Amino acid sequence: MTILVAEDEMMMLKTIELRLKKDGHTIILCQDGREAIKKIEELTPDLIITDIMMPYASGLEIIGAVKMKGGRKIPIIVLSAMGQENVVLEAFQLGADDYITKPFSPNELSVRVKRYIPEAIQM
Amino acid sequence: MVVFLILFTALFAIILAYTFYKRRVARHKKIWQEKITNLISEIIFLNEDEPLPATLIPDNKKLLLKRGFRHDIIDELIHAKKNLSGSFTINLIKLYELLKLDQDSVKKLNHPKWHIKSKGIHELSSMKQIKYAKEIFRLTNNENDFVRNEAQSALVSFYGFSGLRFLNVATYPISEWQQILFLNKLNNVQPKELQAIGKWLQSPNESVVVFSLKLATNYNCYQFYGAVIECLHHSSLQVKINALEYLKKMPGEDLHDHIMGYYGGENKTLKLLILDILKDTGSEKELNFLLKQLHNSDDGIKAAAAQTISSLHPLGPSFLQSQLFAEEYPWNEIFLQIENDHAA
Repeated sequence: MTILVAEDEMMMLKTIELRLKKDGHTIILCQDGREAIKKIEELTPDLIITDIMMPYASGLEIIGAVKMKGGRKIPIIVLSAMGQENVVLEAFQLGADDYITKPFSPNELSVRVKRYIPEAIQM
Repeated sequence: MVVFLILFTALFAIILAYTFYKRRVARHKKIWQEKITNLISEIIFLNEDEPLPATLIPDNKKLLLKRGFRHDIIDELIHAKKNLSGSFTINLIKLYELLKLDQDSVKKLNHPKWHIKSKGIHELSSMKQIKYAKEIFRLTNNENDFVRNEAQSALVSFYGFSGLRFLNVATYPISEWQQILFLNKLNNVQPKELQAIGKWLQSPNESVVVFSLKLATNYNCYQFYGAVIECLHHSSLQVKINALEYLKKMPGEDLHDHIMGYYGGENKTLKLLILDILKDTGSEKELNFLLKQLHNSDDGIKAAAAQTISSLHPLGPSFLQSQLFAEEYPWNEIFLQIENDHAA
């Protein structure tokens, strides 16, 4: 499965990449929202994992861009910080499928990603 | 003209040199960032019982001698620890200890500048360096707010409720925000020994008394009922308010006698709180006292007393309507409010 990960913190990006690569996924890394939107326009990942607060474009704008693109549904997992409940609600209204609150265990993320494998393959 | 040219050239050279320097620093930072990311990635997925790779230090020997690089690793480790949970954080702490970064943090802790000192405390606290608790404890009553707050928070992070022992010696005020942070940190902690609260209730530091009242309320400590009743006669309004909050949650048999006797000499805020307590915990026995409050010159107190009477009297609001001029101001508005409350 090809997963696009948008996260502005290099360390987190690398940690998520390493964990998901262990599960055999192909990872596309983006360090800001604008780069993520550009890559979503060019490629069609099977899953998107995005942080909410990012430079140039937020996670919510990424969800909006996925919706605008149309075509097959791409599941989206949102990474949020504690106390961002309102933004998470907004993300769900925009079309996000799941969320994980920081701090989180990369193993938990791996398990959540597995839930979307059949969905991504079937569609 | 020549002077102008010389000045212009000098200025241009300075700008050029500064830009070059800034770029060099940025390039170094980027290289360091990549090195640090790789260093942390190498250890983060190790199992708890797995040792850290022996090559970590030799491979980065030169860089690890640079103070800036070591500071950047500490920042990155703390940042990663904030975002990650589970066994991954243990590996971050192991790396911090292996690279002896605690010594850098201790140097900051002993620095005379307050912002460096508080950063050092924060680092040691984030990396769970309990072995430095003694040094940190000494800073819990520091004259600087930031140092003091950081040191107090560190002790609570290390020891939970027992970490609050700095309250025994706290002479500076514990801010409202700091109290919220402590209560939040202690939210899921059920201490075995709560006797210290009794001592803090007698503290000459007003904010310590306020905070201990909040703790006693949170932990449902009925054993301090007598001491809390005494707090009603404290000189501080905040202490009295928090004492009443405790008593509302944990009323004793003689509470109503105490608060009704105390009511007359107090201000509007406390009177309203007392009426609210009576509304929640009172009975018909208090009706005579409450009926007298209907003649108070303050409409807010009138309204609160009327609401309390309506909820305590078996006939509800209709009892009051039969006693008062229900059509006249302010009673018409008070009754409307009571009826709305009853309907809700």
